[in-house]
Amino acid sequence: MTKNETKVFKVLCFLCMLFAVSPAVSAMHIMEGYLPPTFCVAWGVICLPFLFLGFTRLNRQVKENRKSMTMIAMAGAFIFVISSLKIPSVTGSCSHMTGTGLGAILFGPAAVSVMGLIVLLFQAILLAHGGLSTLGANCFSMAIAGPIISWLIYKGLGKAGVNRKVTVFLAAAVGDLFTYCVTSIQLAMAYPSAEGGFQASLVKFLGVFATTQVPLAIIEGILTVIVVIALESFAQSELKAIHFNA
Amino acid sequence: MRECVLEGQINGYEQNAGSCQNQKIHRHRHRIGHHHDNGGSSIDFYAVNSGIRHVDPVLKVVFSLLLLLFCLAADQPVISVIAIVTAASITVLAGKLPVDRYLSVLTIPLAFILMGSIAVAIDFSGNPVGDWNLFLHWGYLYVTKESLVHMVSLVLKAFGAVSAMFIMTLSTPSFELFSVLRKMHCPALLVELMHMIYRFIFILTTVQRNMRISAESRLGFCDFRTSCYSFGQIASNLFIVSLKKANAYYDAMEARCYDGEFLFLEEETKVPGELILGAVVYFAALTLIWWMLR
Amino acid sequence: MREPILQVDNLYYAYDEKKTALNGINLSIYPGERIAIVGSNGAGKSTFFLNINGVLSPEEGEIRLNGTPITRKTLPKLRRHIGIVFQDADNQIVASSVKAEISFGPMNLKLPKSEVISRVEQAMEYMNITEFGDRPPHYLSGGEKKRVAIADIIAMQSEVIIFDEPCAALDPVNAAMLEDVLIRLSEEGKTLLISTHDVDFAYRWAERVLVFCEGEVIADGTPLEIFRNRVILDRANLKRPTMLDVYESLVDAGILPDEGIYPRDADALKQYLQKRNS
Repeated sequence: MTKNETKVFKVLCFLCMLFAVSPAVSAMHIMEGYLPPTFCVAWGVICLPFLFLGFTRLNRQVKENRKSMTMIAMAGAFIFVISSLKIPSVTGSCSHMTGTGLGAILFGPAAVSVMGLIVLLFQAILLAHGGLSTLGANCFSMAIAGPIISWLIYKGLGKAGVNRKVTVFLAAAVGDLFTYCVTSIQLAMAYPSAEGGFQASLVKFLGVFATTQVPLAIIEGILTVIVVIALESFAQSELKAIHFNA
Repeated sequence: MRECVLEGQINGYEQNAGSCQNQKIHRHRHRIGHHHDNGGSSIDFYAVNSGIRHVDPVLKVVFSLLLLLFCLAADQPVISVIAIVTAASITVLAGKLPVDRYLSVLTIPLAFILMGSIAVAIDFSGNPVGDWNLFLHWGYLYVTKESLVHMVSLVLKAFGAVSAMFIMTLSTPSFELFSVLRKMHCPALLVELMHMIYRFIFILTTVQRNMRISAESRLGFCDFRTSCYSFGQIASNLFIVSLKKANAYYDAMEARCYDGEFLFLEEETKVPGELILGAVVYFAALTLIWWMLR
Repeated sequence: MREPILQVDNLYYAYDEKKTALNGINLSIYPGERIAIVGSNGAGKSTFFLNINGVLSPEEGEIRLNGTPITRKTLPKLRRHIGIVFQDADNQIVASSVKAEISFGPMNLKLPKSEVISRVEQAMEYMNITEFGDRPPHYLSGGEKKRVAIADIIAMQSEVIIFDEPCAALDPVNAAMLEDVLIRLSEEGKTLLISTHDVDFAYRWAERVLVFCEGEVIADGTPLEIFRNRVILDRANLKRPTMLDVYESLVDAGILPDEGIYPRDADALKQYLQKRNS
């Protein structure tokens, strides 16, 4: 092989490795057994206050209007379906959306944490997607951190008077991306690189998923905009029941 | 990519009467990446037909979760292998799930575990510090012996934990799992939400499938532009139509005096003493093995 | 004079501000009646059912059950006495085994466990689905699902049973089974309300027919009164029952005397002809 050919070969090898490793992260939920026990417990404990807050919120909402239960559960089912679609992307790796942006926009981040927890539990036990021991960590990244960012963006841009579709799009897309950043941080903390430590590891995990996750975040943003618009035009009474106003 | 979104939805979770009957007669060839009958509901289907379906659900859940925890906490390849073998024998021998079915259920998680572990074993550095190095233009991909050992034990541990969990999942239908949670004093609202989310997942996927079929039959996916248009149409209607259906479902429950708690008749199951004894002896033996290998 | 089991006064209901779905319904329903409700799609039949079951609360008007008006407090009582078999069994089925599914209603009535078990077994036997007991209902065929949906309500032992278009999407065998069940239930003294587009069925089965049109009851009478009234049939876009047409053409052609017999189905006509010939 000529020098150039070797170079090309190596670059190709590198790309190969990149896409081979990407499922580890961008299969998004951290797999069963991938976090040391202390991390499992710690992330679980961090989730508790959010879950408690979310639970009281939901309880109040449902007590006030029992029928809003269908909307809440439907948003939950939406998260499940959206986040279970592992999309074989162009690069041959696997990745998927989170679906939590919609819930955050409709019900606020606290309520989504509870819905997300249930969805993650289902995925763990029915699809072995994620895991019971990593429930806390996954719940934090997908059902707490992402939705909080989504909600902040939604409220912030809404107040600033930015176009509504753009607001919803950014809320969902950035929330999705942020979820992956948090997942990468969690993985990097648990698996610091032998040489470069946490930072090198974080760069590895972040770099690897960016390729597949950016297009997915855009799709998720568009999807959320479509659903929100459809809800606003055809499900007025249901939206009124959950005190959602555009 | 758009096609894949839809494809995944169909293959993943929807099982109606027809395809389920197919399951009985048609032997499934394993195709990694095609989540054919790995969906939630086919797992429910296996659970309903399991040979140990009538064993007390609390016992199954507790045993399964204890084994899972033990496997994770012990973090020893031997314990992991024991857990894998135990889970397989319980599910296949006692639960009477055909071996090929069991393997096909495990294929997807196994694939993810394997691929995920590669990322843990391989590292990137400016210097050739590993036992095996691959020089790339701007640095080295390297693997060390330790990282390989670490990877193998991680794979076994994760696979053991997943197997342990499947003892529960493949023998206990989801509504029994929910009722176990209720018995454990999980808040009623959470159990209710679980029931409804679980049900609505099927509403969503069924509605989506019907819409897609109807769009396809009218040439809605004949070329890229039309496909994009159809996809948008489906996406915007899917949630609304499903929501209306969900409301109808809720109305029907209210008509049957539902008021916030899912109550079903549960069979009186007595936990035979020898099963409990067996479980205790099993975990004692496991602890002994762990202690000796420590 | 019989006391009505259910009385509806001046009932109004609207899904949104623009259009009312029910426009002042007044009705008395007596114990043991066999009532067929006919009318085109969107005439308000299903909305009416949801109102008298308390799932939807009317904007205006009063519903009285055995003389007591229904308020928020007495709503559970209303649901206990009135059961609905919904049109789409898929929307009604909740549980993942047939037994658990049928037990849902009785469990919500907070009955003692032994009572629930015996009711579930009775209902399964009644609908001939005992063998499916442990199967997940979602995997059953359409006709079997319908039987489960009916067993759901039978287990609640409500006095009034509403069937929302029960014949829709059933094959002939299952439709015959359904009719059989309806006859049995009626013989046991249940009050039955059935909405249907099958005028032949309404003609042969019902003793009273209500015609819904644009949220109102435009006619209320015996099947003969209703189906011989062209004005009503035209207004509600209804067809005449075949049996009625056949009988009247036979009379018009002078083949049968005008005795006002009006056989309700083919069997009754056959018997009538045999009796005349012998």
